[in-house]
Amino acid sequence: MATTPEPASSRSEDAGASGGAAGVPRTRDAVIVGGNRIPFARAGGKYAAASNQDMFTAALEGLVARFGLQGERLGEVVGGAVLKHSRDFNLVRESVLGSSLSPQTPAYDLQQACATGLEAVVSVANKIRLGQVESGIAGGADTVSDAPIAVSEGLRRVLLEASHARSTKARVAAFAKLRPRDLAPLSPSTDEPRTGLSMGEHQAITTARWGITREAQDAVALASHRNLAAAWDSGFFDDLVTPFRGLTRDQNLRPDSSAEKLASLRPVFGARLEGTEPSMTAGNSTPLTDGASAVLLASRAWAAERHLPVLARVVDAETAAVDYVHGHEGLLMAPAHAVPRLLARHGLGLGDFDLYEIHEAFASTVLTTLAAWEDADYCREELGLDGPLGSIDRDRLNVNGSSVAAGHPFAATGGRIVATAAKLAAARAAETGRTARALVSVCAAGGLGVAAIIESAAPGTEA
Amino acid sequence: MTLAAPGVPTGAPGAYRTEPLATTPGLGGLYARGAASSGTIAARRVLPGETPEPALPAVALRVEDVPTGPEVAARLAAYQRLVGERVGDALPAGFLHVLAFPVATALMVRGDFPLPLLGMVHVANAVTLARPVALGQLLTVDAWAQDLRPHRRGVTVDLVTEVRADGEGAYRGVSTYLARGVSLEATGTDGAEGTAGAHDAQEPAGSRPGFVPPLPTGRWRLPAGTGRAYAAVSGDRNPIHLSALSAKAFGFPRAVAHGMYTAARALAEVGTARGAAYDWTVRFAHPVLLPGTVDVAITPAADGAGDGHEYVGWDAWRARRHFAGTVVPR
Amino acid sequence: MTDSYLKAVDGGLVKGLAQRLGLPQPVVLRRHDPSAPLVPGPVLVVGGRPDAADDADAVARALLGWDLDVRQARGDAVPEGVERWGAIVVVVTEAKTPEDLHDPVLALGAQLRRLARCGRVVTVSRAPGDGDSPALAATRAGVEGFLRSVAKELRAGATANGVQLVAGAGAGDPAALAALHFFLSGRSAFVDGQLLEVGAGPAWDATGFDRSRPLAGRVAVVTGAARGIGAEVARTLARDGASVVVVDVPAAGEALAAVANEVRGTALQLDVTADDAGARILEHARSRHGGLHVLVHNAGILRDKLLANMRPAQWDAVVAVNLAAQLRITGHLLDVGGFSEAPHIVSLASTSGIAGNRGQTNYGFSKAGVIGHTRATARLVAALGGTANAVAPGFIETDMTASIPLVPRQVARRASSLQQGGQPVDVAEAIAFLASPGSTGITGQVLRVCGQNLVGR
Repeated sequence: MATTPEPASSRSEDAGASGGAAGVPRTRDAVIVGGNRIPFARAGGKYAAASNQDMFTAALEGLVARFGLQGERLGEVVGGAVLKHSRDFNLVRESVLGSSLSPQTPAYDLQQACATGLEAVVSVANKIRLGQVESGIAGGADTVSDAPIAVSEGLRRVLLEASHARSTKARVAAFAKLRPRDLAPLSPSTDEPRTGLSMGEHQAITTARWGITREAQDAVALASHRNLAAAWDSGFFDDLVTPFRGLTRDQNLRPDSSAEKLASLRPVFGARLEGTEPSMTAGNSTPLTDGASAVLLASRAWAAERHLPVLARVVDAETAAVDYVHGHEGLLMAPAHAVPRLLARHGLGLGDFDLYEIHEAFASTVLTTLAAWEDADYCREELGLDGPLGSIDRDRLNVNGSSVAAGHPFAATGGRIVATAAKLAAARAAETGRTARALVSVCAAGGLGVAAIIESAAPGTEA
Repeated sequence: MTLAAPGVPTGAPGAYRTEPLATTPGLGGLYARGAASSGTIAARRVLPGETPEPALPAVALRVEDVPTGPEVAARLAAYQRLVGERVGDALPAGFLHVLAFPVATALMVRGDFPLPLLGMVHVANAVTLARPVALGQLLTVDAWAQDLRPHRRGVTVDLVTEVRADGEGAYRGVSTYLARGVSLEATGTDGAEGTAGAHDAQEPAGSRPGFVPPLPTGRWRLPAGTGRAYAAVSGDRNPIHLSALSAKAFGFPRAVAHGMYTAARALAEVGTARGAAYDWTVRFAHPVLLPGTVDVAITPAADGAGDGHEYVGWDAWRARRHFAGTVVPR
Repeated sequence: MTDSYLKAVDGGLVKGLAQRLGLPQPVVLRRHDPSAPLVPGPVLVVGGRPDAADDADAVARALLGWDLDVRQARGDAVPEGVERWGAIVVVVTEAKTPEDLHDPVLALGAQLRRLARCGRVVTVSRAPGDGDSPALAATRAGVEGFLRSVAKELRAGATANGVQLVAGAGAGDPAALAALHFFLSGRSAFVDGQLLEVGAGPAWDATGFDRSRPLAGRVAVVTGAARGIGAEVARTLARDGASVVVVDVPAAGEALAAVANEVRGTALQLDVTADDAGARILEHARSRHGGLHVLVHNAGILRDKLLANMRPAQWDAVVAVNLAAQLRITGHLLDVGGFSEAPHIVSLASTSGIAGNRGQTNYGFSKAGVIGHTRATARLVAALGGTANAVAPGFIETDMTASIPLVPRQVARRASSLQQGGQPVDVAEAIAFLASPGSTGITGQVLRVCGQNLVGR
């Protein structure tokens, strides 16, 4: 299954518009014009004073500047943030109003944990494909540095009761219930609410279950840093990133990272798992990061009218969820489920891709996903396949780095990956003269995962 | 542990007589009486030759027409939030245990109850919720003690509570307590273990060297106030749960989480798979010291039969088990 | 960049004090304001013969066409009844001998005191040519010295500049009139004591030309546009109607995006020293805006060091950015025929490139090199009906000059006829003028925007 030749039904040059594969309705193309993000900053770093809205507005402004969208009324802007203050209930709309886009551009907030950005891309693409909008921006922002602080449950209930009280006496009675311990603020937690385990601990369990080695994880991490550094050096991000607040490159990137340095780090997750060697370190996990990203999508006609480039088209996407609560499946394994379903819909094999962008929530997330696809029993029992889904050519995986090196501001990661994949696919197509196809997957909290197929799309090939 | 799946209610053994109580007793007063009578029992025990062979009172206490109106509703909501149940009108089995507990306690503080209340260790609990119970129903609660039996560290006794809702049998709970240092024989008492709330208040099963924690499915971070919070919703204000200071008085280094809190939380985390009616068991091993972190594995039962779940909680740093149990839908 | 001395002496008590102490008295210059008239009063045209359809007459007619109040002085007869002249235009194109200057010069002199605040003196003359007789060459060259000296005598923000017609160019030609228009307007606020050679240039149809949006329909690329002069150039070109592509290094992207969004253009993050910079600029301008009409080579850096202490990297970086990048980008565009019709190239030179400056051997080399390649490029783009010119700023109030220590900064500011530093917009206006279709015929020139700085030619 590794290198199945291209099935005729899946290539689109002849067919033109999307669809054609069994079970996929024919619609017009939703194309990716380009993307923009701000460099990702380490938590408490350069963006410590920036809010989600500041960052998302900056990402929008860079995109508007790149494509000359000043005053343009887009179909919609969709995005979100995972760590979001309640005052930011209209985060995306407020960001639009603070941008150079037409204030008549609608917007809505969407949230699907770490998959927020990719799900936003899918949502906008679907509306374009249906003809409901001609253009849209999808993205997201997240700040750990400026995360909302909540009051304790005790104080919260007292405040609510007091605000509902009808008399002073009742209000006093409400406040009388306050205890000193109620006054301690609560920092936002990225622990899974249902299990109390951090994402890292969850992945450590999955790592243990799949027997992923420390060396393999460090190798993924090292490749991530080297690939990302090379991409920066080659100018790949010149038209994908706009600096922000004095930061011109991803702050977490360590171009001088080495296997020795990575090997010297102490494990931080899975230390308490009985009978397993902890292997997940700060070096092969994503750090807490601040950042924002945005992707411009459009119909081909809209892009052509504005003389905008067309990098790729969003072919299709699949979102999966897994039962992780009682340990049946790993928290971050949903992409392992989403991808085969997506492939089946298009008659594709796992080997039929020029590029793979698998979000590195942790280096081991990539490795457990790949291991699962190679495991016959797992593929039969969990994925309902006849045998292993297959292997991928690792030289096509995260070729310009991924989240371990770039950082992972939750909702911003989808936009980063989609823009990167679209540009890579366009470049590959220009190089080879044939359509290039990319598989994108992002795992997310709550046992969620989104996978998408993106294909290079030379302008004007739509029927 | 006797968890047959008989019909509920089974009723007290035939020889028992039913003694009605006007209302559910307050636990505060019961603890005071319990402490006083425990002193009497302890005093009796340390005088060799004078300890009579323990016998259980052949009495079932009954409280009828216990309302579950607005007052209970607020307490129920607080309970549900605390243990992670969905807030609603259904009374989880753990909450029925909370409602029935004072009646069982009233039995244990009677003068003719042979064991001291304070210092008794809750070692296991088995509950059957035969039908859902909802707010607004009138409850009848029966409680009696049975099966006084030897244990290698003392004696155990089952406190059985049954709840009828609007006249229909709905709940049966069997709480197994260990009275350490007490013997069914008149002789052989080990006085050194007789101290109430001994420092090493643990069941030997928990320290079996063979315990290898499974991969966890969850982690509970229990703040120092966990005992106080559960005391507030359950009414069980045993001093070992309330503060480090009061726990030290009973030989614990810090406050101890209520065992039933941990079991109730595990029950809640099984989620909808448990169904509306279920059997729920727990065995307690090492106490959970507060504040503390407990790793748990709540998983579908290993044998794969039925929809049952098993759960276990442990101290991941020391690989010591705190509790383990099952939840099986009926 | 605030010149607080200028603000203080421009009015009130401090002004009187400065007058009594003999301190410099700079005024706030008259700059472009679309709602204000071209000049702050009637225009006096000096020179020419009475009742002859000569160059002076052609100039006066053109001025009338711009809705100005125009008076003509024939010989030494000067019209009465005007309190303040907005401008005095001296037309001496037909002077053959030094003596021919007598009448117009003295007529101008008689009226100089009546020149309005921020008024204008513009000479229209002919440039000396290779075939000139000694007397003719002397006469024409003499105008240059005269003009520069007049400029130094003017006060209160008034400037004097000259239009120098080269062989074949007429005083009424569009390019000559465009230069005259520029010198009269507030756009030339900080241009003083300069002579601009105007050739015939290719034929240019001014029908329908909108002087308020001279760059409408043109696509302009500005390098180094994230801040300072470059950002102001982008704004000015956009104001004049151009679609603007702003270019700067990726690291300056945030400021660049802000400029792009302000001017409703597009941002291109690009290091101009990259090998493919020209190709990427062309691709962007063509695919996104449909052409490339105006190229402003503004990107430049400073790495000041005495030559004895100069490190290789300091020399190389300045030469690479300030000079080699311009050569490579323009070269590529010419090689591949990338320019659209009648392209205008404007490069940033510097007065340091003309006069030299201590500690700036690298910068001086690069900027003089810019002047050199501009003359050569002008010949190459002439075939396309286009122009190549350079603008040499003097002391301009920017982030860069704000870093100069206080005393040298004040000295530099006052060391010009206008006794102040210029604003980035002053440079931008000169560039916009040289980028406009009307300026065709002005090519291979270096236009100084220096307030007639004492340094250099």
